[in-house]
Amino acid sequence: MRNLLNFLAKYNNLIIFLILEGIAFYLLSTGNNYHNTRIVKGVHGITRGFEQRINNARGYFRLREINQELASENILLKNTIGKLTKNEDLLFFSVSDSVYSQQYIYSTAEVIDNSVNRQKNFFTINKGKKQGLTVDMAVTSADGVAGVIVGCSDNYSIVMSLLNLDFRLSTRIRSNGYFGSLSWDGRDYMHAILSEIPQHVSVSAGDTIETTGFSAVFPEGIIVGTVNSFEKPGGDFYIIDVALKTDFRKLHYVNVIGNLRKTEQIELENSFQ
Amino acid sequence: MINSFLRLSVIFVLLILLQVLLFNNIEFSGYINPYIYIMFILLLPVEISSGLLLLISFFTGLVIDFFCGSPGMHTSATVLAGFVRPYVLRLISPRDGYEAGSNPSMIIYGFKWFLLYTLIIVLIHHLVLLYLEVFRFTDFFRTLLRVILSSLFSITFILLLEYARRGK
Repeated sequence: MRNLLNFLAKYNNLIIFLILEGIAFYLLSTGNNYHNTRIVKGVHGITRGFEQRINNARGYFRLREINQELASENILLKNTIGKLTKNEDLLFFSVSDSVYSQQYIYSTAEVIDNSVNRQKNFFTINKGKKQGLTVDMAVTSADGVAGVIVGCSDNYSIVMSLLNLDFRLSTRIRSNGYFGSLSWDGRDYMHAILSEIPQHVSVSAGDTIETTGFSAVFPEGIIVGTVNSFEKPGGDFYIIDVALKTDFRKLHYVNVIGNLRKTEQIELENSFQ
Repeated sequence: MINSFLRLSVIFVLLILLQVLLFNNIEFSGYINPYIYIMFILLLPVEISSGLLLLISFFTGLVIDFFCGSPGMHTSATVLAGFVRPYVLRLISPRDGYEAGSNPSMIIYGFKWFLLYTLIIVLIHHLVLLYLEVFRFTDFFRTLLRVILSSLFSITFILLLEYARRGK
């Protein structure tokens, strides 16, 4: 017993150190599990009021730019509506027909906390379960892909940004349809890497990269970026450097896209695995 | 005693605010993320007991983690910095030893000593922090470069802050 006490007295600093590091590592391993964002959410609850205030100020200074973005998006949407309404008279199907029923639902949200300088970036948006958002919905900016929702509270959601080492996106080259996996390499918030495109395919700088819709998260054909440069390493595949369309530093208003038929697709796919 | 406690509390709050409001928003390329809050651990009195130092480090890391939304990351790095501090102080102790009741500071022990002291602890802290952040050893040298660049910036800012503090 006395020896034990002596031992404890001698190494008490080391013991405190180990206990505290143990707690820290416990927090690190549980809190940073990317699908278990509970702790992050709790933490954000504390600092959120603060962030919202900073964000309000930032939003005010960027009003002009945001107006321009919205105006250009409006024009685009109006053009699309114009195209669609013209065809309406020619079609004779009921809207409730399941073949033509709506697959994707859209909603907008505001980014209230964002980062681009970490290796695993997340951002927070100001809508949550009460506004109908759920985990695994796609998030896009006016320009292109932004991220995927990984956690929802009543009024807020945490989104895993494309700028996250754990983010994978199925994308394809628009001109020839070859698809591969897009991920971020942690270097630069303007660029990402597209891999798994075989080397016999012809790729040129400036080609548009868009989503495939295979994952049932993103609809097909959302723009991700353009080919910036590519190299042929030893293997069978290109390493393509993609210049991202979305400017994550300016991310403010985002669209949230939900897939109404996601469960159906995933259930069917799982039943064959 | 009360006086020095108050002064350290003010320094603590100021450093946390600087880190959260200013330095967390500095983004040159993604290679440089200065973490200057570690300066608080540097400035604690020389004679502070190791146990208390560890607890203060733990608490400081926890507060920063709260604001960064990264549970455990800053805490583990800061606790390690708190753990090695007594050994570093012993390793680089000046010839006449430390003055009783003093804080490690540039005026008392000189620029060179303070630079060395800051350099060792900031490097250890950043090394652990940035490797924990990526949590993998692929891209080992790129992370190392990030450690070195970020440390350089942190050290520069800490020295500037210490220089500014000299007037008071």
